Amino acid sequence: MKFKLDGIARYIPILMIALIFGVLLGLQWKSPPARSTAVPGFEHESGFLAINRLEAEQGELKENIGRMREQLDEYRRELAANTEMLKEISAELERQKMMAGLLAVEGPGIQVTLDDSSIRSGAADSNEYLIHEYDLRDVVNLLWLAGSEAIAINDERIVATTSIYCVGSTVMVNDTRLSPPYLIQAVGNSITQEDVLRNPGYLKEIKQRAELYGVQFMVNRIGILTIPAYKGGFPIHYARLGE
Amino acid sequence: MKSRSAQLLLTIICFILGLLLVAQFRTQRMASESILSASSADQLIIISSLVENNAHLREEMEALEGQRDEYQRATGRAVLEALVEELNKVRIVNGLVEVSGSGVEVSLDGPIGVLDVQDLINELRNAGAEALTINGERLTLYSLIASTEDGVMIVSGTKLSRPYVLQAIGQPETMEAALLRSGGLIATLERNYEGLAVSVIKRERMVLPVYKGAVEFVYASPAE
Repeated sequence: MKFKLDGIARYIPILMIALIFGVLLGLQWKSPPARSTAVPGFEHESGFLAINRLEAEQGELKENIGRMREQLDEYRRELAANTEMLKEISAELERQKMMAGLLAVEGPGIQVTLDDSSIRSGAADSNEYLIHEYDLRDVVNLLWLAGSEAIAINDERIVATTSIYCVGSTVMVNDTRLSPPYLIQAVGNSITQEDVLRNPGYLKEIKQRAELYGVQFMVNRIGILTIPAYKGGFPIHYARLGE
Repeated sequence: MKSRSAQLLLTIICFILGLLLVAQFRTQRMASESILSASSADQLIIISSLVENNAHLREEMEALEGQRDEYQRATGRAVLEALVEELNKVRIVNGLVEVSGSGVEVSLDGPIGVLDVQDLINELRNAGAEALTINGERLTLYSLIASTEDGVMIVSGTKLSRPYVLQAIGQPETMEAALLRSGGLIATLERNYEGLAVSVIKRERMVLPVYKGAVEFVYASPAE
């Protein structure tokens, strides 16, 4: 056995060499190109680059989308806040417009009719037979005193900037020409309004001229009046808010 | 000889073994390399899915941008600003804010009736007064101007004492000219009231306080 082993051991180096030689030869034998299964015309390297590029793009897009969503959330909150503010401002504006006479209103009230006398000339001054702008002014002032909430003369709404004046014999209200008969309508407590208008202590001149010269002065309580909105503008050029 | 041929045989066997070993190794390498090369096809799949995904992302981004544009429009800062401006204007008209500006100051020293003061206010409004006060009381549409039996003027419940000083914000020259024209209201007043001294002073800047009264609508409601 020992001899035999010795005999085999003697061959081992040769065997090893043969083995290595075989391995080297085998290595030397070139395998067919491994790319045979690859897609024709497709470069492995450029594919890898494309993936990198696309992934970078994807990352950027995702980041942008994330940022945009955050921005949108902010807009949404702002919109909600602004909508809330818009609601408040709109409501406040409605109140203010109501006060300013920019809204048509309705309610119970009184109607005062003033007209020149049918008698055009007589013994007295011709002015005594006519209704003047100051008559209208006095009636309007008295109607405010009687608690009126909205007043119009011949559908011209009386507002803060309204002046009742005359050019020659033509009465102007809100720079609009009016002609008789003058219908003054005022929403308010019609009982109070009528009481005040009929009070002999007020509008003495008109009442006297009505009696003596036939100018018309009529007072009627009305169930529901509609007072139109002021249609002009409020030119504010000199007044500034606050100090 | 016998041992030599055995030696040769062994050598050949080892040689073939070596070849087989390499072949085996190569087959394995080839297999793993074929996965690698097959990933070229996978690469295409990956690329196409990435392209598709990125297209979706871009679509999403465009949709979001569209939303943003809409929000920017909808948050309506411009609308809000316009509303606030309008509101402020109407507030000035209603006398509910303090205002400042140029104008005239009219002083009435002496006896004068309440109706004539109202005529003067009317005249100032006609000359473009934007805001008015009398003795520091802001005058609005709803200011009640009355007088007691003995001729003391009451504005919005406050008794005024003479001299009556009216302040009006507006174009100073226009208002002054309207008041002082010959045959105008002041000339008429001075003719009608003996002992009434009227002065009109142009002011570059006055500050008018807010209206103190409250306005409540009990009978009037917005018409349909």
